[in-house]
Amino acid sequence: MDSMAGVLLRVPLFKLYRRLGWPRMLPLNLTLSPSPKCNSRCLTCNIWMKRERELTLDEWDKVLASLGQTPYWFTISGGEPLMYPHVVELAQLAYEHCRPGVINIPTNGILPTIPERVERIARSCPKSQVIINLSLDGAGERHDFIRGVPGNFKKFEQRLEQLLSLRSRLSNLTVGIHSVVSVFNVGHLDEIIAYADQAGADQFITEIAEPRVELDTVGLPITPSPESYAKAIDRLIAYVESKRFTGVARITEALRVEYYKLVKRILDEQEQVIACYAGWVSAHIYADGTVWPCCVRADNLGNLRDHNYDFKEIWFGEKIQEVRRSIAAKECHCPLANASYTNMLHDIGTLARVGAKVLRSG
Amino acid sequence: MAFDWLNRFQHHLEKEPDYAAKTLAAYRLGMKAKGPIMGVVVQPAPNCCDAARRLPAGEVYHPDQAPILPLPDCPQGRRCGCVYRPVMTYQQADEG
Repeated sequence: MDSMAGVLLRVPLFKLYRRLGWPRMLPLNLTLSPSPKCNSRCLTCNIWMKRERELTLDEWDKVLASLGQTPYWFTISGGEPLMYPHVVELAQLAYEHCRPGVINIPTNGILPTIPERVERIARSCPKSQVIINLSLDGAGERHDFIRGVPGNFKKFEQRLEQLLSLRSRLSNLTVGIHSVVSVFNVGHLDEIIAYADQAGADQFITEIAEPRVELDTVGLPITPSPESYAKAIDRLIAYVESKRFTGVARITEALRVEYYKLVKRILDEQEQVIACYAGWVSAHIYADGTVWPCCVRADNLGNLRDHNYDFKEIWFGEKIQEVRRSIAAKECHCPLANASYTNMLHDIGTLARVGAKVLRSG
Repeated sequence: MAFDWLNRFQHHLEKEPDYAAKTLAAYRLGMKAKGPIMGVVVQPAPNCCDAARRLPAGEVYHPDQAPILPLPDCPQGRRCGCVYRPVMTYQQADEG
């Protein structure tokens, strides 16, 4: 699916699906993790240590064919996705089978092959918006310290410059900066904001470090306290609100501010503040073919290898029912950005506030 | 700690047959690659078996020496709620 209008038209149907189990629908927002391998050694993530019997390209081909043209938003995650040797072909398969509106790829910016791979992806998926978000967890040495790679910041700067220069040739390429706010940098978010402000990227987004089964970070003290996060993120909100945005950016930036406020509430209240649609609208396919509702809980909903690579068999199967019950009963809560943005699209209060803000700024 | 529900939730998940082998192999690789991991602890489930209760609390193991979960006589088998947790260098620094 390649239009945002199509997504919004489905919102009431997904609300029905979550409430009544009907009409049965495939997810709009799909994360693919083709490999956990990564050349970063982040303090906030342990996925790089994992090794899996990864799906082959032929297997991905069958999986993506089974989805049809339903997904609007693909995230190709990792590990370091642009280190995965078949990342270009994987993006092409997603494009050919699903025609998504957005292909979103985070990257640590380390490998020199990144710009060439990004260019090939953008060229071979011309009707999708290709978003590349470069990770930045500190300005200068703090970045290298948090990500465990000496010289990473310098490489980040090189990669940013190279990717920004690609934009003149590739109208479907968006280059962003993405920061994970953790206990290791929450007191220095101002430095990152100041850096991002002058860096020339199309967008600057942040996410909070949180425990995830996927990353093997459950129980680790990486999440900032509610007080320190609020103090830092309020300054980011003030920064965003001091800027003037035009066009679609007015909507996306208003949504981002809503997300930052939502995270504050989740940290404070420790509950699912708005209804979570992971397991209905969003899903995650891990490297070994296991389907999860999200990477935080990582419930094993089934392995595609055991279901003839047919995503629908798992999505409309028995095992997922108990997980959906648990999510709907608010037995979990988290600030996972990927799911949260989908959830906000299904929350009337959020949409009303975003709409009002966009109208006021118009 | 934030998101403590996830800690409890993971104690209730049924283990994959290769849980111990895969988890410890990952930690072994992490230590070999000189990542910020310095060992592994066993976090017993609230309803753990006697053998798990007898493990030294908070003992940090090298992955090669860590007890295999589920423990051999655990009556809960793959429903054993004990889990491994990585021990990170920054945690030791905090405590030191």
